[in-house]
Amino acid sequence: MVISEDTRAAIEREIGKYPQRRGALLPALHLVQQEHGFVSPDSMRELAGIFELLPVEVMEVVHFYNMFHDRPRGRHQVHVCTNLPCSLRGARGLMRQLESHLGIHAGETTADGRISLGHEECLGACAYAPMLRIGETYHENLDAEQAKRLLDGLE
Amino acid sequence: MASIRVDDHELEVEEGRTLLQALDDAGLLMNGVDVPHYCWHPKLAIDGSCRLCQVEIEGFPKLQIACNTPVKDGMVVRTQTEAVRRAREGVMELLLINHPLDCPICDQAGECKLQDYAFEYGVGQSRTREPRRALKKSVDLGPTIVFDQERCILCRRCVRFCREVPKTGELGVFNRGDQSVIETFPGSELDNPYSMNVADICPVGALTTKDFRFKIRVWFLEDVPGVCTGCAAGCNVWLGTANNKVYRYVPRRNDAVNETWICDHGRMTYQQIGSADRIAHPALRGEDGILRAASLDDALAEAAARLRRVLDATGPGALGVVASPHASNEDLAVLRSLVDALAVEGAALAVRQGDSDEILVQAEKAANATGARALGFGDPAALLERLRGGALEALLVLGHDLLDPALLGEGDALDGVGSVILLDSHHSPLERAAHVVLPTRHAAEKFGTLTNHAGRVQRVRPAVEPAWAAWSEGELLARLGAALGLPDFDGKFDPRAVSRALGERAPAFDGVDWDSVGDEGLPLKQGGA
Ligand code: SF4
Ligand code: SF4
Ligand code: FES
Repeated sequence: MVISEDTRAAIEREIGKYPQRRGALLPALHLVQQEHGFVSPDSMRELAGIFELLPVEVMEVVHFYNMFHDRPRGRHQVHVCTNLPCSLRGARGLMRQLESHLGIHAGETTADGRISLGHEECLGACAYAPMLRIGETYHENLDAEQAKRLLDGLE
Repeated sequence: MASIRVDDHELEVEEGRTLLQALDDAGLLMNGVDVPHYCWHPKLAIDGSCRLCQVEIEGFPKLQIACNTPVKDGMVVRTQTEAVRRAREGVMELLLINHPLDCPICDQAGECKLQDYAFEYGVGQSRTREPRRALKKSVDLGPTIVFDQERCILCRRCVRFCREVPKTGELGVFNRGDQSVIETFPGSELDNPYSMNVADICPVGALTTKDFRFKIRVWFLEDVPGVCTGCAAGCNVWLGTANNKVYRYVPRRNDAVNETWICDHGRMTYQQIGSADRIAHPALRGEDGILRAASLDDALAEAAARLRRVLDATGPGALGVVASPHASNEDLAVLRSLVDALAVEGAALAVRQGDSDEILVQAEKAANATGARALGFGDPAALLERLRGGALEALLVLGHDLLDPALLGEGDALDGVGSVILLDSHHSPLERAAHVVLPTRHAAEKFGTLTNHAGRVQRVRPAVEPAWAAWSEGELLARLGAALGLPDFDGKFDPRAVSRALGERAPAFDGVDWDSVGDEGLPLKQGGA
């Protein structure tokens, strides 16, 4: 068993809030990702058992949303919103600068395991574009130099 | 019931059916009313994802997808308007944006719905200059199927098939939007007893069977309607033939038998037709105990002489007859005439048994066991007892199903029988005991009817000619009867005439013959089987 007893109990509590068990799959995926940092194929298999789904169905959900990861990630999750409003305000250029600054492509993790960089769909901060998210914290109205300094400051 | 109008057709449709289902029920879909479609399949749940099936419905401001719009009384539908044509063009253009267009090296070319509809509804030129998405061209999905990610149009037919029919659910759509790909769960394979059906239902060349890919261009194949002989289900198939060879079986839709599926085991039984272990000529066992090739006349004369000796010396009680469930009803009717003419009692049927499932596969591993029983060939227990007790001096045996472990096993019990006449299509250990061997035809090489487990009589016809000497059991037995000098045996066998006369022999066959059953078959008359 890779999903802990505590997480399982939390998942059961979530299930109680929905008319059908499978309704709680998204909250459950968040819980598992909180526990492990990613959702491994083994956890997907266990979730499939809990939700009476096929493992591939769980995997389809994990892959559909880009906030879920099926493999280990860096210590810091950096997400640049590249949706339309942010892109109009230079988010794609920002992303390219960060990619070359870190020497990785979006979707990858630095070799020292420090930072994972990724695209993000709308984070609801269009008025403060371009922006990025580090973990749960938003950083807004960025230019490339500010953004690089932010990343350099990460442990 | 709802009355609807589709173009010029007035239809009475059961409430709750969707437009495409209604057209399919009426036999009009792509056969009078052209509504091109990719994701919809008559035997799978509705998906509504490809958007190709849009039609105009009076009173609706926008086009609707025919596959998922339920009929309503009074509905007026148009499938060939300008708006519909432009919608189809639009969908085709989107599907083709990322398509590799590698038809020249694609196995599906010639039977590809993307080709067909692009030809029919495509705009003919591309408006995009961006590179097409480059993905994996050859993903090994499991023991039977190879997947080309670039060709996939994401109709999800294969995904639904695995979840709904074998219920194994190996496939899923991973990622999203233009990144979407079909994959299996990490560490698992597409591996189930019906897996190869996904290649049939894939509208494009994304899924191909390892067995058939790169073998031959499909436009060289002539498709002959036939029946799978892998078990008693009698699934309807198309035999893809060229160069006097069968290259593949694909399912032939018959809602009363196999819907649109066949099992993987059955699909591969086409290999038995031209296989290296076919018996290729008549043979006689010499004084020295060695089996040697012989002419048919010599083999028949020897068989007749051996049978005659036993009949004259001991009588019909010393002769055992075993019918083959692989022979056609017509072949077995001749065997029945022979058995009756010789006054042999207890002619039996031997059927090899195997696994069965809840979907199609039947335990009896032969296509015509039910027909053999309808013609009076029964349980082999008594015959086996006489055999083991040494009461049989001669045995006329068709096929080698006697070798089933529940019957004879390896066949040593035949060693004591003075004369064994074997009619068979493939080599088996039974030949060790045979004195006369007569080669028979496969169901794909003859005219005849086969009765499936549910009593449905279905016909077969020659799709290929054996490249060696082989005759149908009916013909061999008719000639054997003549060689024995039996009245009513003139040595001639006309399977279609025998078929018409089957009803005289077994009333269940009344009116159910080769011509009347058509290509979809007919059930035996009630109470007859
Ligand atoms: S592989 Fe074929 S059947 Fe499966 S989704 Fe793609 S196009 Fe459809
Ligand atoms: S279920 Fe039986 S008849 Fe049908 S395809 Fe399989 S082996 Fe052939
Ligand atoms: S067939 Fe109707 S949407 Fe695909």
